[in-house]
Amino acid sequence: MDKYSINQFKNGLKLMLDSNPCSILNNEIVKPGKGQAFNRVKFKDLITGKTLIKTFKSGEFLEGADVMELDLQYLYNDGNAWNFMDPHSFEQYIIDGITVSSVKGYLVEQDICIVTLWNDNPISITPPNHVILEVFDTDPGLKGDTIGASGKPATMNTGVVLQVPLFVSIGDKVKVDTRINEYAGRA
Amino acid sequence: MIRNTLIKKQLIIQKIRQFFKEQEVLEVQTPILQNTSTSDVYIDSISLTINTDIGIQSIQYLHTSPELEMKKLLAQGSGDIYQICQVFRNNEYGKQNFNEFTLLEYYRLGFDIHQLMADMINLLKMLGIQDKVYQLSYAQVFNQYANIDILNTDIASLKIIASKLGLSTDFVWIEDLQMLLFVHLVEPKLKNLPLCFIYDYPKSQSTLAKVKNQVAKRFELYLNGVEVANGYDELQTKDEYQQVFICENNKRKQFSKLISQIDVSFLSKLSKPLPQCTGVAIGINRLLTQIN
Repeated sequence: MDKYSINQFKNGLKLMLDSNPCSILNNEIVKPGKGQAFNRVKFKDLITGKTLIKTFKSGEFLEGADVMELDLQYLYNDGNAWNFMDPHSFEQYIIDGITVSSVKGYLVEQDICIVTLWNDNPISITPPNHVILEVFDTDPGLKGDTIGASGKPATMNTGVVLQVPLFVSIGDKVKVDTRINEYAGRA
Repeated sequence: MIRNTLIKKQLIIQKIRQFFKEQEVLEVQTPILQNTSTSDVYIDSISLTINTDIGIQSIQYLHTSPELEMKKLLAQGSGDIYQICQVFRNNEYGKQNFNEFTLLEYYRLGFDIHQLMADMINLLKMLGIQDKVYQLSYAQVFNQYANIDILNTDIASLKIIASKLGLSTDFVWIEDLQMLLFVHLVEPKLKNLPLCFIYDYPKSQSTLAKVKNQVAKRFELYLNGVEVANGYDELQTKDEYQQVFICENNKRKQFSKLISQIDVSFLSKLSKPLPQCTGVAIGINRLLTQIN
């Protein structure tokens, strides 16, 4: 794998850190008045999702990570695994429940997700920013209510629970912002 | 918009001049073109070629700081002086570092670093920076934010700490490790102390400051976590300066960096030592960004 010098660091570059693939979020050069320049680098660990900050001295090298991001279409869940397909090559990817666990409530059949592969293995999935989900269960709807500060919890057909306005009823389709797990409007 | 920015800068520089006028600190201008490059290990001079006569060229350097030229004046009896000038440094880039920036440098005779910090607090107040003032020693901040007894920890132990944090340990000199740990563990926390002076540095980081009671009599000013000023209780004798220059050049040699000629014109002015004085360099651009 290629090595990258600190001077080549830029946002989005994928590197190996503590044997996990990480993506650079921010790279800041810090130079003490009388000292050597250092780079303070903020990383996102692509496996754990955690953000970490490391400091390197100029001239150091880090190994690149063999990470690829693919736009894959979610097909179906067969009970054990989640099946995705590359809509261009029709190649299928079978992804286990651990990798999917944090986002499975946002997986809607036919939606295009970003799947991150490391050494050809899927390590994380990013669903679209907005998905359309159906309300599976909630208290009965009230007419005339508008979006207010208060709402009510609703369980979606995928299992996620979020606050919705009072007028939403079972069977309604709603738009959900997957980044913050919030109601984003009627579908 | 640009005019508003220019007006703000003009106003602040006027206030700085007013402050020094009231204190009878004299404004000076010293040569920007130098015959020698800086000996600072981690600062590089920008060189240029000058035609001294038809066909005869000489290499000169833009000053990286007006320090030595101002000290020549102090040695000759100038009294308290200040200067606002552009300085030039090679290989500096980043969010807070540029190849050219404006520096305010001033020297007060008879002051120690605590008197100089008090003087700076007055200057900052005049410029509208009125936050609560924190004054902490280097040892205190390390103890508080990193739980390290920095003055009594040797290089081997610092390497172990750095290694546990996943940081570089490939350093020959202890000061580099101290600075790395400072940058990594302490500096991010200084954002919580909007106006903070850090003083009494490890003697390994003394540079041109006096060492007393095992610590270098230096301070740095941090505004919202950004280093803005660097102050020293200045060395006074020719021998002390000569020793520092030789030591720094030896370090430059190890990095295969340009070795600076010893500034003979500076040392020759020190046949009589400098008067007891403290001096501070303040980054004007960084300061401006902190003033509303």
